[in-house]
Amino acid sequence: MKKTKMTAIVLASVLAVGALAGCGGNNEGTNNAGNTGTNAGTNAGTNAGDSAELPKVGVAIYKFDDTFMTGVRNALKDAAAGKAEVDIVDSQNSQPTQNDKVDLFLNKGYKALAINAVDRTAAGVLIDKAKAKDVPIVFLNREPMADDMNKWDKVYYVGAKAEESGTISGQLIVDYWKANPKADKNGDGKLQYVMLKGEPGHQDAELRTKFSVKAVEDAGIPVEKLAEDTAMWDRVKGQEKMAAFLASQGDKIEAVFANNDDMALGAVEALKAAGYFTGDKFMPVVGVDATAPAIQALQDGTLLGTVLNDAKNQGKATLELAAVLAKGETPTKENTGYDLTDGKYVWIAYKKITKDNIADAQ
Amino acid sequence: MNAASIRNFTSQNAIYIVLVLLIVGIAVYDPSFIAITTLRDILLQSSTRAIIALGMAFILITGGTDLSAGRIVGLTAVISASMLQMDTYANRFFPDLGHLNMFIPIILAIIAGLLVGLLNGFIVAKLNVPPFIATLGTMVGVYGLNSLYFDLPPNSSQPIGGLREDFTNLGTGYIGVDGTYSVPYIVIIAIVVALIVWVIFNKTQLGKNMYAIGGNIQAANVSGIRVSRNIMYIYMIAGALYGLAGVLEAARTGGATNNYGNMYELDAIAACVVGGVSTAGGIGTVPGVMAGVVIFGVINYGLTFIGISPYYQLIIKGLIIVAAVAFDIRKYVAKK
Repeated sequence: MKKTKMTAIVLASVLAVGALAGCGGNNEGTNNAGNTGTNAGTNAGTNAGDSAELPKVGVAIYKFDDTFMTGVRNALKDAAAGKAEVDIVDSQNSQPTQNDKVDLFLNKGYKALAINAVDRTAAGVLIDKAKAKDVPIVFLNREPMADDMNKWDKVYYVGAKAEESGTISGQLIVDYWKANPKADKNGDGKLQYVMLKGEPGHQDAELRTKFSVKAVEDAGIPVEKLAEDTAMWDRVKGQEKMAAFLASQGDKIEAVFANNDDMALGAVEALKAAGYFTGDKFMPVVGVDATAPAIQALQDGTLLGTVLNDAKNQGKATLELAAVLAKGETPTKENTGYDLTDGKYVWIAYKKITKDNIADAQ
Repeated sequence: MNAASIRNFTSQNAIYIVLVLLIVGIAVYDPSFIAITTLRDILLQSSTRAIIALGMAFILITGGTDLSAGRIVGLTAVISASMLQMDTYANRFFPDLGHLNMFIPIILAIIAGLLVGLLNGFIVAKLNVPPFIATLGTMVGVYGLNSLYFDLPPNSSQPIGGLREDFTNLGTGYIGVDGTYSVPYIVIIAIVVALIVWVIFNKTQLGKNMYAIGGNIQAANVSGIRVSRNIMYIYMIAGALYGLAGVLEAARTGGATNNYGNMYELDAIAACVVGGVSTAGGIGTVPGVMAGVVIFGVINYGLTFIGISPYYQLIIKGLIIVAAVAFDIRKYVAKK
């Protein structure tokens, strides 16, 4: 008797699994106009409008739980309405998993691919796979090596230039410096600054550090670096390092650069603890990313500015390119709405965000 | 009588029944799933996982566990990739390295895996540290070691790319006329490995000792089996298999970073237990492990194929793992 009971439980589990599988499928499938049992090969991905007519595009994101890429993913999905039927999958931050997903897309006969590579050096193999089936491929956000980009003429890239985020954060400080004569606290004509860096060796950290300072120098303002340290992109570490800078440099500091908003907000906390942002005691702090807490800080007047990596346009441009390619056409400024550099790169500009244009980042 | 024999058949073949049910369910939803290309893709994607799961099976059958498998895969992927870049590639890991025979880095990588396995075996067998803790330690340490190597100048933690074509061909090439009706090399390698492991399990003294140690370690000791030596051999073999899998992952993707293989050990353990390997030790077969791997291959590929959200996929995987172990425990209790 006992054995029978156990078997029943196991069978019930298997059935539950089956039921869930069905439930998941139906859930997605209901979006599909005319999705019936006989409709073999209908993709159950996100789409809008008449799915029967639209070309199918396979999209692989490096991982779903990345805030920025989720913004890109949502923008891409929204832009797909009426243009393409997109099937968006999670590569779970694993390049082998992403390769598996690409094999699946190619097997299902999708007309174009949009790939946010987990590892940019792996793009070569993905391009070979796509080329073998003659399916055009658009990379987004993580730029493949130039050698790989030149492997085939149906390879495209949509993304931002990392150095530009540094340049813009430098310009934010330049704007402040020019508008406020008192910004030069010691009156020596030089900008004394401290730098909170992201993870050492990380491309964004190195480029932002270099180009933010370069933008200030290019504006004709001499600079003096008082201190620089890594806070590993982390808010708590940003606060700790800034407290240490204040202890050693005190009021000599005239500006704070941070490679991202989390560290900038950490620095703001340390500055508050040291009596800044009350009365007329102010410190210009700039970050990058335009995160929700950073926008709040802009409103509060503690953060001077931040730089928006434009998720909306990255997602939209990727979809426009992929949709045009899926129809078998060659993307141009006319049919995508975006400028193509060298016929294969679409550069999405970063945006300067201050208290005055907060709406652009929301 | 009839009911009893059906019950017996169900319990003996539950894993294969689940596999068939899954495939039928997916095919009913979308008949285009039944295609040669689908079979080929699933086998291709299951190959490296199968090699890792077979390594894991050795250890689980002795009653141990191995959390370091994924990090060993990462280590060997990086080692092999670092020495197999194109001569003309701009960012070479070793700028002055000559054109090596492809098998030298591959063998070095496998040896590296084997040595970590030996270390695991030594800690477990000689220092008597429980396998969970011993391999937790090596998991963390190996990742650190790999990251140090990966960070060596001039590479400085950049992803290793530009791998040689003869090497990537090992991961992406195939025997056959075209992409559809062909057998990928990597599948052949996995099948050969499975055959070798089957021979070790069933036809060698080491295999017999492995089952004996997992079944009852005291009895194995008393009956004259050199337990610690056998355990060390087994961890070494497992390490070498992870090493091979790491090499193939690099070849398959055309690159490597220190994060390769992260958490693969959990996939391997899940595939083993679903395939009927007992976590209590002493029980497990090669066909069972292969079926376990293929079940997860079908879930990964098939559920994405019919467009089920990745979040539902995770829930389904979780249910299958728990159901399988509940089933396994049932067999164990029934025996007593």
